[in-house]
Amino acid sequence: MDRRDEVLAIVLGALENLNAELDEADQIQIGPTTPLFGDDATLDSLSLVSVIVDVETALTMKWDAPISLTDDRAMSRAISPFDSVGTLTDYVLELLQEISPA
Amino acid sequence: MDLYLGKTALVTGATRGVGRIIADHFLNEGATVVGFARGESSLAAAAYHHVQVDLADPMAIQKAFLGLHKQVTRLDIVVNNAAVLTSQYAMIMPPAAAQAMVNVNLLAPFIVSREAAKFMRKTKWGRIINIGSMAVSLEPMGDSVYAATKAGLSTLANVMAKEFGPMNVTCNTLAITAIESDMLAQLPRAKIEAIIASLPAPRFATPADILNVVDFFAAEASSYVTAQTVFLGGVN
Repeated sequence: MDRRDEVLAIVLGALENLNAELDEADQIQIGPTTPLFGDDATLDSLSLVSVIVDVETALTMKWDAPISLTDDRAMSRAISPFDSVGTLTDYVLELLQEISPA
Repeated sequence: MDLYLGKTALVTGATRGVGRIIADHFLNEGATVVGFARGESSLAAAAYHHVQVDLADPMAIQKAFLGLHKQVTRLDIVVNNAAVLTSQYAMIMPPAAAQAMVNVNLLAPFIVSREAAKFMRKTKWGRIINIGSMAVSLEPMGDSVYAATKAGLSTLANVMAKEFGPMNVTCNTLAITAIESDMLAQLPRAKIEAIIASLPAPRFATPADILNVVDFFAAEASSYVTAQTVFLGGVN
């Protein structure tokens, strides 16, 4: 499994964790293009926080270093890293490249 | 002897004073206890895990939690107790001392609480207890920054109570009066005694006074008690 697949699995796993906490009617369709934040997204703000926390925790444990997805750099981007599963995966890969070049 | 059997508690500033009293109590009542403190600990119980961490350094706290994930699988109770106090007139307060109070008394509880909440959201249960101070209400001269950080601690708990409420995590503050401790020894005794004499309950706090409220906040039955500050000794 290459690094992109590893990160994608972590992000999708976080969404699966969220679904486990949601009612049947509120389940999120999970896939590589699932929108996370914005007009098309079905996640409310607290659900997005849960996903971010799960992704951060999984990354931190796997790479053995504190990883924050919500620093100033993330917040100031023209395209938010939290737009979709794809943009979040790309952003995580970018952060990982800095702490542990592939 | 088993009030906290099966629970894991984290106490900051666990090596001495109020933190040590609370850590000893949790251990005596069956909890596993993690102590965060800058120095070493003389607490040698098998159920005690000591983590040396500089609470003035947010990154150090986050690294401590990274290590904690490898030591414990759950955190049920957090007591944000560690604090530093420099009592000095504002015009001559060293900025570094003021910064240290902000870091240890306010920023560290924020980081500790948010990292602990990440454990608690897994178990859908948690109790965050902040140790505040009578200085918030009495506003004594010399304690401008200390009192402000402790007031901020209550506000911190109240906001977190809203954010963490859906996870069945309560956040409360116990504002203590004076108890014999290293911190108290830094202050002019006559000044403290005069303050205590003016309280509705004009005596120093005892460990039992503090543990009584800690146990109340931590109790299973207190799930509907959150975003509250309890002042000891009749301070209001």
